[in-house]
Amino acid sequence: MLDPSLRHATVAILALSLGTIATSRQGVAEEAASFPSPEQLLQVPVGPTFPGGVRFPPPIKDPEADDPAAIQRGMQAFVSMNCVGCHAPNGGGGMGPALSERTFIYGREPANIYLSIQQGRPNGMPAWAKMLPANVTWDLVAYIRSISSAPETQWGQTTSRSPQSPTIQQVPAELLTTTTPWAHTEPFGDGRKPSMH
Amino acid sequence: MYRIAKIKPPSNGSDEGEGTLITIASNVLSNHVRSSILVLSGLIALSAPAFAQSPAAPNASPTNLDILSRDPNQWVMAPHDYANTRFSSLDQINAGNAAQLHLAWTFSVGADRGQEAAPLIVNNTMYVVAPYAGPHPNQVFALDATTGDLKWSYAPKPDGAAQGVACCDVVTRGLAYDQGKIFLNTLDNYSVAIDANTGKELWHTKLGDLNEGQTITMAPLVVKGKVLIGNSGGEVGVRGWLTALDENTGHIAWRAYSAGPDSDVLIGSDFKPFYDWLKGKDLGVKSWPPGAWKTGGGTMWGWISYDPALNLIYYGSGNPGPWNSNQRPGDNLWTTTIFARDVDTGAARWALPLNPHDLFDHDEINENVLLDLEIKGQLRKVLVHPARNGYMYVIDRATGEILSADPYDHITATTGVDLKTGRPIENEEKAPVLGKNIEDVCPAAPGAKDWQPTAWSPRTKLLYVPHQHLCMNFKTAQVGYIAGTPFVGAEVDMYAGPGGNRGEFMAWDVTEHKKVWAIRENFPVWTGTLVTAGDVAFYGTLDRWFKAVDARSGALLWQFRAGSGFVGQPVTYKGADGAQYVAILSGAGGWPAAVAAAKIDPRVRNAALGFVGATQDLPQYTSGGSELLVFKLAGSGAPQGNPSHANGAQLETGNAHAQ
Ligand code: HEC
Repeated sequence: MLDPSLRHATVAILALSLGTIATSRQGVAEEAASFPSPEQLLQVPVGPTFPGGVRFPPPIKDPEADDPAAIQRGMQAFVSMNCVGCHAPNGGGGMGPALSERTFIYGREPANIYLSIQQGRPNGMPAWAKMLPANVTWDLVAYIRSISSAPETQWGQTTSRSPQSPTIQQVPAELLTTTTPWAHTEPFGDGRKPSMH
Repeated sequence: MYRIAKIKPPSNGSDEGEGTLITIASNVLSNHVRSSILVLSGLIALSAPAFAQSPAAPNASPTNLDILSRDPNQWVMAPHDYANTRFSSLDQINAGNAAQLHLAWTFSVGADRGQEAAPLIVNNTMYVVAPYAGPHPNQVFALDATTGDLKWSYAPKPDGAAQGVACCDVVTRGLAYDQGKIFLNTLDNYSVAIDANTGKELWHTKLGDLNEGQTITMAPLVVKGKVLIGNSGGEVGVRGWLTALDENTGHIAWRAYSAGPDSDVLIGSDFKPFYDWLKGKDLGVKSWPPGAWKTGGGTMWGWISYDPALNLIYYGSGNPGPWNSNQRPGDNLWTTTIFARDVDTGAARWALPLNPHDLFDHDEINENVLLDLEIKGQLRKVLVHPARNGYMYVIDRATGEILSADPYDHITATTGVDLKTGRPIENEEKAPVLGKNIEDVCPAAPGAKDWQPTAWSPRTKLLYVPHQHLCMNFKTAQVGYIAGTPFVGAEVDMYAGPGGNRGEFMAWDVTEHKKVWAIRENFPVWTGTLVTAGDVAFYGTLDRWFKAVDARSGALLWQFRAGSGFVGQPVTYKGADGAQYVAILSGAGGWPAAVAAAKIDPRVRNAALGFVGATQDLPQYTSGGSELLVFKLAGSGAPQGNPSHANGAQLETGNAHAQ
């Protein structure tokens, strides 16, 4: 017997996202072979230090990265699974941290992001493993990699009023739906109304 | 009626005729570049009041706490008194000497997130609570209110993960006190009673579940031995309630939901709403699509007032969920509703939904200030509710009848309030259409004023209102309910309202229905306020100024540049040394300022539920902070003699060599 909250959740997924998720793939099982194995994922380090200088295997590539439709599917899942509510449109952050910047608390390698989603993270990131199959999670990874590619003009980040920094803002989501928000920017708005494109 | 007018270049304060906004005191302008003071001329010098106005008079058998709250030397509940006036009759600090305020001592609560809590002062002990962050989330500290000595601290055992479901930073709005006990609400849904003298835990009760998205951020209020607590989570599809706990045991005495069948809302035979459309059975079910009330919000994370004579408590409920109104046709009762309830049983006496079928996240959890006012020649027991929807409501608190509702900020979402029905008149042009971007919706989602409480002075007869001045783009989208995740369905992008300022601190004449003066601030004014018998009003700004202004004219008397922006609540009390102190926590955060304290990207306008659009430049002024600041007048208080080292530190002179 499902507990009531889970039942609710299931209804929501079926209604809003499985349509997209299921029809976009020819079945999870036949694809699964190409996904990293649990053993491989277990070896993924979260941080950059290794006692004794032992080498780790090279980072795992996002198996969906070569599928141009993956980012698009990832964006749909980001909305239908309510990631967008906590991380904001285009991953600007709110209840959850910004996913629009290049720095990540738990690592920005594809496998780091994959594990953050599947396992959850202690300070409020829900664990999605029982809800999101591997292929959907890798789609999300592809999307998050895309929205987190903020332009970099220097190594660190300067915040200043004069001269103003940051100098740009994204075209806001109510005006533009895109998988590449960092390709659409305008001058920093300073709390004024955005220009209407 | 107040209209937004252009700021003219500073004049010499010459009279420009009634209703014209003019700037005064050019030195004020140069002191803080983008805030300016505006006066409706002709109203600066208040004429003698035509009739008596005073905070609600208590009945014959006041509770101990009610009596304590009238001792000006203490500050025993967050709203100061049951009427929620936040007025102190202390007058050592006054408009003539406030310029001599200086820091007496400071204390760090150890958690750099939004500091919205009001300190409490009972028997020369100050109690403060930290936000849900740092090594000890929601830690409580007891300090000597005169010297700042730490007496004890108490750290609740955190359940973790609470910050993931707290919509608008990990804030708490404060503690409560009664009968030697301090009452703490934790973000992760515990109510805790602590011995006020020793810091020892007396009981703890779990009231909600993080997996359903519930949290608690409000300051509890104790009335007649009951600890009154509401939940948060209106952005996570939480079903809102107000719960009364027995202060001695922590057991639940009653719980009143904001939606659902009458039996859950505690609507019974005593229920007499003023307007006809509010009469009927189970409207909390019938005014929703089937079952939608179960995930429909109506949480309670704001203020409670209490009228001992009527034995009624007053509070407002939060927004309906989801924000996407297309998904919930109907009036969505009883969200955004002011309730009057019998404090002993929780039974509803009347209810008044201010924003039926709310379109724009206009919770109505704001404070209800209980005043006895003469209106049209009659003495009326009213409550004044500066609503999120931008109207200043004056409501008969015995019946729930709206006596007046006047706009106090720029409003485009509605065109007025129909006093025959009590309903706002919607502006069709701004009605959300699924998937369509609606521009220039004013006030924006946080409303013309959010939780930040006002203060009312019986001396000036003015209500002091800290508030924001924002409009927004608003685009709705279909959203599915997944327990414990956001249930919003809207892309929001806020920005400064007409005139370019994003906030204001103003004085409002309740009986004349008008703004008397207003200080335009660059950022939303997100602190509470305090007004004293010295005719000084205090508030703070997001860009790190704590200000004292003349309660009659609005003139700036003093300001202090702090370590971090202000979102807290100023309080005042008298120390053991006889000096009057003013205390406030500094630390930017909360909904408007989380962008300066948390990992939020100022370049993404829709971040933080759209508030980033309006405060994206705030990180250029402040970062997070955790400092309690305590001020007094230079040289005030009993003379201390020569300074001596506290806590056994000794100066060693002569041959003090390393061994
Ligand atoms: C209930 C709010 C919430 C929801 C829903 C949510 N997240 Fe998170 N997420 C968080 C929080 C809070 C953190 C930070 C946790 C921590 O620091 O321990 C986080 C962290 C993450 C991280 C790691 C970020 C970093 O800096 O390392 C990723 C990636 C992430 N979330 C992606 C997602 C995706 C994808 C979804 C939807 C499937 C999602 N989140 C849904 C709240 C949420």
